[in-house]
Amino acid sequence: MNYIFESFYRALLLISGFDAEVFFVVWTSVQVSAVAIVLAALLGVPLGLLIALKQFRGRQALLVVLNTSMALPTVVVGLFFYAFLSRRGPLGELGMLFTPAGMSVGLFALALPLVINLVLAAIQGLDPRLFLTCKLLGGTPNQQAWMILKEARYGVMAAIVVAFGRVISEVGIAMMLGGNIKGFTRTMTTAIALETSKGEFELGLALGIVLLSVAFAVNGLLFLLQRGKA
Amino acid sequence: MTPAYLVENLSFSHGDRCVLKIDRMEVGPGELVALVGPNGSGKTTLLHVLAFLAEPQEGRISLFGQTSTGRNLMPFRRRVGLLLQQSYLFHTSVLANILWGMRIRGVSRSVARSKALAALELVGLAGFENRYSSALSGGEAQRVALARALVLDPDVLLLDEPSSHLDRESVQRMDEIVHNLNRTHGKTVIMTTHSQEQVKSFAGRVLHIFGGRLSSASLDNLFKGNLREQGSIFDTGKIIVRLSAPVKSAAYLTIEPSEIILSMGNGGKDVPNTFPGRIVAMAEDNGHVAVEVQAGERFRVALERSVAHSLNLRLGQGVSVVLGDESVKVF
Repeated sequence: MNYIFESFYRALLLISGFDAEVFFVVWTSVQVSAVAIVLAALLGVPLGLLIALKQFRGRQALLVVLNTSMALPTVVVGLFFYAFLSRRGPLGELGMLFTPAGMSVGLFALALPLVINLVLAAIQGLDPRLFLTCKLLGGTPNQQAWMILKEARYGVMAAIVVAFGRVISEVGIAMMLGGNIKGFTRTMTTAIALETSKGEFELGLALGIVLLSVAFAVNGLLFLLQRGKA
Repeated sequence: MTPAYLVENLSFSHGDRCVLKIDRMEVGPGELVALVGPNGSGKTTLLHVLAFLAEPQEGRISLFGQTSTGRNLMPFRRRVGLLLQQSYLFHTSVLANILWGMRIRGVSRSVARSKALAALELVGLAGFENRYSSALSGGEAQRVALARALVLDPDVLLLDEPSSHLDRESVQRMDEIVHNLNRTHGKTVIMTTHSQEQVKSFAGRVLHIFGGRLSSASLDNLFKGNLREQGSIFDTGKIIVRLSAPVKSAAYLTIEPSEIILSMGNGGKDVPNTFPGRIVAMAEDNGHVAVEVQAGERFRVALERSVAHSLNLRLGQGVSVVLGDESVKVF
């Protein structure tokens, strides 16, 4: 038991002492996740809106695919993009494997269906009179869509926050597409896995505490958003 | 004069179910019209069709002489103001709610703002502009929605059961505003209600709607049935009514209560459209005496108080209901 308390104490020292390695790892995690989330939001929010508002052939099949892709194991996403980004793959020439950019691509693919689905659910959960009101006040389809998005703003923000929480805490894609290279692509989750296996328990624990803090912050933000909606 | 609305051969269905079938409906410019019918009679659907929100499968609608083609309804929609039964306000300030319709039409911010403030004053909510929409009572929200519709200066104003869900003050205020718009500004107004009582004091033209069909006759005596013998007879299943002239199609028959003649005793069976029965209820109604007679169907008869007194009517008394040619309407 002493071993755990001692490691916990050293972990706190690493954090409070602004240990360079800890903070570089945290920064890398935040950076690759943020890039992935910005891209997923830019594409996912309009797509979620479009799928929610339009009736088209194959819509039901698309919803099934989207729902399934929300439950994709991260290592499978990593494996899939590894095949594309490795030297022998179709995108090998880009040299993105084992780079932060490569990791962001994989994380983007993980976040996209999540953002689309949650935005879709947020819009479908809106009061049906909103759609009628936008129409009867004479809005063009684009003006209507923009107002609908504004009314769904809390749900849309929650979708982005949830997706951020998902990508920053995943390990499979970061490991397979980042390669866990120290000082370059090492993230909190890959560092925890590696350092713990090396016996550097306190570093792993320090990063675990930061990751938990991030998770706590994300959930706190979600709580505030839900309260704002109410 | 070009009518505000001219609806011809309109048919609107939800799936296989036909919910509106209107051969012809004309509303003059500046006219005040009440659409009266029970819940589920098609009032709201008709308002949505008139607001160009729902596209009928058949028929055509002309708004001030211009016929909608069904392809681009936006220009038509922008000329009509519709107040929903329970309006939706955007989750923002009252002012932003009223501004939206003008902003999307390209009205400048300063002009839009001054118009919005004037509209708020008109509906009795001056000073409410910075309130958040969710902090309003139901009546206030409905008045904000009215201001939001009026500020766009529509050619026609459609109101879906404007007095339901409202407190007395809001109902009075809404009535005043709507009647003022109609009388002073000559605005065409069509409103729906399910309340027969409200219609009795209504200043404009009353159209009854039932089963998606329009009728100018009262719905107090409304019977569903089928035409027989080349449309010269209407059979409700309990009584057979001979029509003054054959009609092509009809699913309902109505008889104006004040046009029914009560004949004492159970005689006169050979006279067409005479149905013997007995009085089952009597009550005062708006200066008249309402007598209900069970004679195959249950008829509601409206008699002048003096006539009812002279007939010395009593419950259980045998009487015959006589329907004159003009009193029977089918649709």
